Amino acid sequence: MYKTLGFKWLIQAFCPASTFVLADRYEARNPQRFIHATVAKHTNKQQHNYMSIIRPRFNDFYNIPLTQEEVDFAIPFLDEDIPLYLDPFLLWKSPSMQDNSLHLSITNSFNYLGFLAKKGNEKEAIEILIRASECNEVGFGNSKTKVGKRIGNNLAKSVTDLFSSIPQISKSGFIHFEEIQLLVDNFSKDRVSDIACNFIQSFLVDYTIEQCEKYNIPIEKTVLENLYDQKSFKFTTEETFLPINPLTKTPILLVPKRWLRFIPWINVDDYFKSFYLKNIQDKGEAFPNRIKLLSFNRANYDLIKTYTEIKEMQFENCKNDPLFNQIPVISAKRKISTISRLPTGKTDNADLKYEDNTCQLMASLVYPHLDFAKEQSRTESGMQIRDLIFYNNRSTDFLQEIYDTYNCKQIVMELKNVKEVKQEHILQLNRYLKDQFGSFGIIVTRKPPPKKVIRNIIDLWSAQRKCILVLDDTDLKMMTQVFESKQRYPIEVIKKKYIEFTRACPS
Amino acid sequence: MTEEEVNQFEKTQSQLNGLHIEIGLLSKKNPNDAVNKFKLKFINKTIEESNELLGEEYKPYQEFEKFEEEDMPTTSDVTMMLEQYLNCLEKLRSDNLEYGTGSYYWVIDGEISDIKTANPFKFKR
Repeated sequence: MYKTLGFKWLIQAFCPASTFVLADRYEARNPQRFIHATVAKHTNKQQHNYMSIIRPRFNDFYNIPLTQEEVDFAIPFLDEDIPLYLDPFLLWKSPSMQDNSLHLSITNSFNYLGFLAKKGNEKEAIEILIRASECNEVGFGNSKTKVGKRIGNNLAKSVTDLFSSIPQISKSGFIHFEEIQLLVDNFSKDRVSDIACNFIQSFLVDYTIEQCEKYNIPIEKTVLENLYDQKSFKFTTEETFLPINPLTKTPILLVPKRWLRFIPWINVDDYFKSFYLKNIQDKGEAFPNRIKLLSFNRANYDLIKTYTEIKEMQFENCKNDPLFNQIPVISAKRKISTISRLPTGKTDNADLKYEDNTCQLMASLVYPHLDFAKEQSRTESGMQIRDLIFYNNRSTDFLQEIYDTYNCKQIVMELKNVKEVKQEHILQLNRYLKDQFGSFGIIVTRKPPPKKVIRNIIDLWSAQRKCILVLDDTDLKMMTQVFESKQRYPIEVIKKKYIEFTRACPS
Repeated sequence: MTEEEVNQFEKTQSQLNGLHIEIGLLSKKNPNDAVNKFKLKFINKTIEESNELLGEEYKPYQEFEKFEEEDMPTTSDVTMMLEQYLNCLEKLRSDNLEYGTGSYYWVIDGEISDIKTANPFKFKR
C-alpha cells in the first residue's frame, strides 16, 4: 500500500494536517486570544535596536532569550539561511509515529505527481513540483538573501519523466524521493529539503504556532501564498498567524531540529563512494562523469534500490546534525596544549594560530550557555575586526546580570596573543562597547594583565561603568579542565573573573 | 570544653579527615580542577562547624570563613585549607587533654574526664 502511487484516500486516512491539530482547525490556526496579549506585550519592545546585532536570530528581534540547546526547533536567522536541510530519511527512521506519518504524507504527495503525469496531466504535475521546489518560510540552505529560486520547467519535467521512464517507479512510486538526486542532474539537497517542507507545511504551521505559544513569541496575521493542501493535492492560499521576519516582512516557519542534517542520508557523494566504486566500478575503468553516472542509474534503478535498502539497514547511524558541534574533550585538551606552547607575538604566524585555536576552543567551552554568533566580524566601517561574538541568551544568573547591568545583548571577545596586555588593547575593546555589546567585553590573552592595566580597567568602570574582563592562559586551562571533569561549567570561570572584577571595583 | 563540644569535636574532626582524604586524592590527580557545588556545600558545612569549635583563637586564618561557590576553588585549594583546619583542630584537642591512667583523657569543664582520646599529635602549649 505504502509504495502504491498517489492514493488520495490513503493520505487522507493517515496524515491530514488536521490529525496533528488538537483544537478546531480555524481555532488552531487563528489563536487570536493569546495573540492580542502577546503582541501587545511585545510591540514596543520590537522597536529595540536589534539591527546592530551580528547575525541576528528571530528571537533577538523580540528580545526573547532562547538557547539553541533548550528549544526543539532550529532558531532561524533574520538575514541569512540556516545551513541545514530537512532530511526526509530522519522522518522515516524516527521512532515517532507522527514523523513516520509525515514521511508517508511527503512520499504520497510526491508520488501523486507521477499519478498526474501518467493520467496525462503532466503540466499540472510540473506546476506543483515547481511550486514545491522552494520554501522560503523555513529558510534552509546557504543563501545570504533568504530568498531562493524555484526550479525551472526543464528540471521539473526531468523529474516527472522518471515516473514513465523507470518501470519500477512507474509501478510503485518512490519510498525515498531523495533518490532523485541520484537520477536527475541539478536536483540538489536543498530541493529535497524544500519539497519535503512544502508537502508538510500545514503541519509546520501548527508546529510553529505551538512553539510560539510555548516561548511567548509574537505571531501576526499573515497570508501563506504557497500552502500545500493535502486534501486537494494543490497549492492554495491560507490566512493564518505566524511569526514575521522584521527585515523581509515574510512569515517564518519553525522546523524541529531532529529532522535536520547538513547533507541528506541518501546523497550522490555517498552513493558514489560507498556503493558505486565498491560494487559497480571495474578496476582500471575510467570514472564516469556525472551525466553518464546519472544515465547509468536511471537505466539500472535496481542498483539504486539496493543502495537505498543498504542505507535503510544502516538507519541507526543516521543522526540529525546540530547547528553547533562542540569539539570533543581530547580535541579541547590538544588545543589548550597548542595554545600554551605558542610564542607570543606574530612569530611563525603564532597570532593566527592562537586565534584559530582559541576560537574553536572557546566556542565549545561556553556552549550551551552561550551560542556562538560569528568569528572575525568586521565593524560597520570595515576597518576593525572583532574576534569572537556570542549571543547573550541570559541562560545563567551571571549572563542575566551582565545583560541587566551592562545592557549586553551580545558578548564580544578580543583575542590578543601578546606578551603583555597594554592600555591600547583596552581602548580598542572599549571602542566596540556600544550598541548590542553594551558595556561589557572580554579580552582573551596569554598572561595576567599588569597592575597598571588592571587599574585602567577599574578606572574605566569608575568613569563610564564599562566592564572589561581579562582571561589568560590559566583561565583557559581551568575552563578546559572543568570541561573535561564536568565538575563545574566553563562559563563559571568567566563568572569567577567577573566576581573578582566587581570586588576590585570601588564601592 | 563541655561534653557536648567534645562530642561535636570528634564528629567534625572525623568528617574533616574524610573530606581531606577524599579531596586529597582528587587533588593528586588534578590539582587545578574545580570542586563541584555539591561537594563544596558539604565541605563548607563542615568548615562552619569547625569554625564554631575553634573560635577566633584557634581558627587557621581570620579572614577565611568558608569557600565561596563563585570563586571556584580547586581541589588543591580545598586540600590545603582542610589540612590547616585539621592541624588547628588537633591543636585545640592537644590543649584540652590530660594524661590519666595509661591513656589520655579529655579535660571537660576544667577537670579530667573519663572520655579517652588519642595521644596528642605534636601540638602542645
